[in-house]
Amino acid sequence: MRFGAKIVDLACLNHFSRVMSTITKLAKTCTLRLTDGKLYFILSDKVAHGGVSMWCELCQGNFFDEFQMEGVAADHNEIYLELVPENLSRALKTAQSAKAVKIKLTNKHCPCLRVAVELPSLSSSSRIVTHDIPVGVIPRRLWNDFREPSVPDFDVSIYLPVLKTMKSVVERMKNLSNTIVIEANLSGEMNLKIETDLVSVTTHFKDLGNPPWASEDGYQSSAQARDLESMAEARIDIKKLQQLLAGQQVNPTKALCNILSKRIVHFILLHEDVSLQYFIPALA
Amino acid sequence: CILHCFLFLLVFGRAIHAIARISDEFWFDPVEKGLALRSVNSSRSAYAYVFFSSMFFQHYRWTAVSQPCQKEKQLSLPCKLIIKSVLPVFRCVNILERNVEKCSIYTDINDHHITFQLLCKHGVVKTYNLTFQECEPLQAVFAKHMCPNVLKVHSRLLADVMIHFPTSQEEVTLSVTPMKVCFKSYTEEDADFSKTMLTEVRLNPEEFDYFQVGVDSEVTFCLKELRGLLAFSEATSVPISIHFDVSGKPIAFSVEDVALEASFILATLCDIEKEPASQRPPGPSQQQESAADTVASKKPQWDGNAPNAEPAKSTGPSVKQESTNVPRDTGREVPGVEGTALAEAEDHAVGEGKAAGSPSQKVRRLPVSYFYQHSLSFQFHSLFFGAVSCTEKGAISPTFRSLATASDTEDTGSVQSSQL
Repeated sequence: MRFGAKIVDLACLNHFSRVMSTITKLAKTCTLRLTDGKLYFILSDKVAHGGVSMWCELCQGNFFDEFQMEGVAADHNEIYLELVPENLSRALKTAQSAKAVKIKLTNKHCPCLRVAVELPSLSSSSRIVTHDIPVGVIPRRLWNDFREPSVPDFDVSIYLPVLKTMKSVVERMKNLSNTIVIEANLSGEMNLKIETDLVSVTTHFKDLGNPPWASEDGYQSSAQARDLESMAEARIDIKKLQQLLAGQQVNPTKALCNILSKRIVHFILLHEDVSLQYFIPALA
Repeated sequence: CILHCFLFLLVFGRAIHAIARISDEFWFDPVEKGLALRSVNSSRSAYAYVFFSSMFFQHYRWTAVSQPCQKEKQLSLPCKLIIKSVLPVFRCVNILERNVEKCSIYTDINDHHITFQLLCKHGVVKTYNLTFQECEPLQAVFAKHMCPNVLKVHSRLLADVMIHFPTSQEEVTLSVTPMKVCFKSYTEEDADFSKTMLTEVRLNPEEFDYFQVGVDSEVTFCLKELRGLLAFSEATSVPISIHFDVSGKPIAFSVEDVALEASFILATLCDIEKEPASQRPPGPSQQQESAADTVASKKPQWDGNAPNAEPAKSTGPSVKQESTNVPRDTGREVPGVEGTALAEAEDHAVGEGKAAGSPSQKVRRLPVSYFYQHSLSFQFHSLFFGAVSCTEKGAISPTFRSLATASDTEDTGSVQSSQL
């Protein structure tokens, strides 16, 4: 099992650093899946994290100048590692002006991702900062736990409002309530509601637009049969929503959510070279 | 005495903040030449000293006042202040500098108050009256010139290095050979390696303004305590000198300028594995033996016949005799007790100085030869601290002076004398 990668371009480095910051806000520990062409950051829906799950996919070619991996076996050319994203994020944060960043999987005392940052210095040779980030190797028999989650059979799919606006609304609501109701319909309307003994606050968004989903047999028809005005809603943990929004440093190209009434809200945030899916289950 | 001065806030404020990282209280010691601030942390593993010469201040007036209760004129007003009381005065130093036109510090020994007065813009005057406790000043003596390893570098470089370590990182190890320098994060042996992230920063000796490595060494010290000095040094833009030796011996970070001087002396972890088990504190007899060694070499006047530079391990009955001498010398009994403790800590070279500490614990304690306790009233102030006062004449003072120069001896085998 081997892995080595190198980033030389500063823009790519910053981009990757931003992705890591986002992941850090969403999960304390997560799974990093490495394949020949892609990296995945996965959080599977265990009860431990309140049932949320995350699937983040990156195309390695968009970030790394060099990328080599050798999986556990020829027919399973993949590596699954458990890691604390904050460590990786921290290692990259201070590499803002780096000449090069190399990431390598090593095994000295224990399996580690070794991040070596080459920084410019006043002297002839560069300054080298090395971070050894401990990782856990996930054995093949557990790989099934980390399969890509399927898109739920949602009731409503709608584009999200400008994330910055949504974030500031949710942040203020967070002070008043622990849960938030997110509801939307097929007319491009979305409401964010909180209700406590003392106060209830609703923020209305209009003209958001509903993404067209490619029909699978009978899929389209069931969606079309739905009343355009009728709201699908789910009550979710407000903190989880706030974490998702807070982690977004750059505006995604596309941001939408799928609501399965009273069951789950599925967020999809697409950037040029990164796609992030985040599932927040509805509370009873 | 009355101390009246104005000062450059940013630098002074940063000094207070740096000292605040060491301890909750500090010694405020105005003397004729300037103002000295000193602090020691509770575990005695870090000592900070900042001295502002009278030139630093726009106006510095210091008057000696003789105390009727003491025979000699007391030349200094040593007192202790609680940092928490002083910090608010210098909170947000950066903003302070813009708003404050003048800062003055008055003390009046009769009043037991120190007054910080900030004259701000728009006619606003902020006055802080702080009470202090009178006490003996303390002073550490660290023979920097004896250190085989000396590095000099601008604080910017050190700050750039430390930024790679998380703010929660407690300790770092500085590792040098004549060819390379590196700082790496330190974790306890029993820590879970599968959980902790380790960071290492490798530098080129060329990056240092001055680079002298006499002996390959790896010293581990507390990073948190250092960060304050880094901020202070950046405000002064004076380069930092690092003096150190092998593991176990203290490391000193200092800045020196015409107008000010600061030293942060930090204990370093002793490599306990190298110590043979026999050196662990067993029965009292061994302790006394080592106590006598140190006592004999340090305070010759107590038994009156041992020379200054005592060889490290005196053996046999002569040692026992010396050790029994000590308690009998009642006039110095208290310092004698300290002497024992001195030796204990000394002997284990910053290891488990106190028997109370468990052997597996890596305790950092500055070798107490650095501190000289001087007790005017024979009161037991502190086990490890030395105070220097000009009023005490007689045996102790010359001892102090001679000890400071005793470092010139080439007795490298001895733990004690090499500390000097």
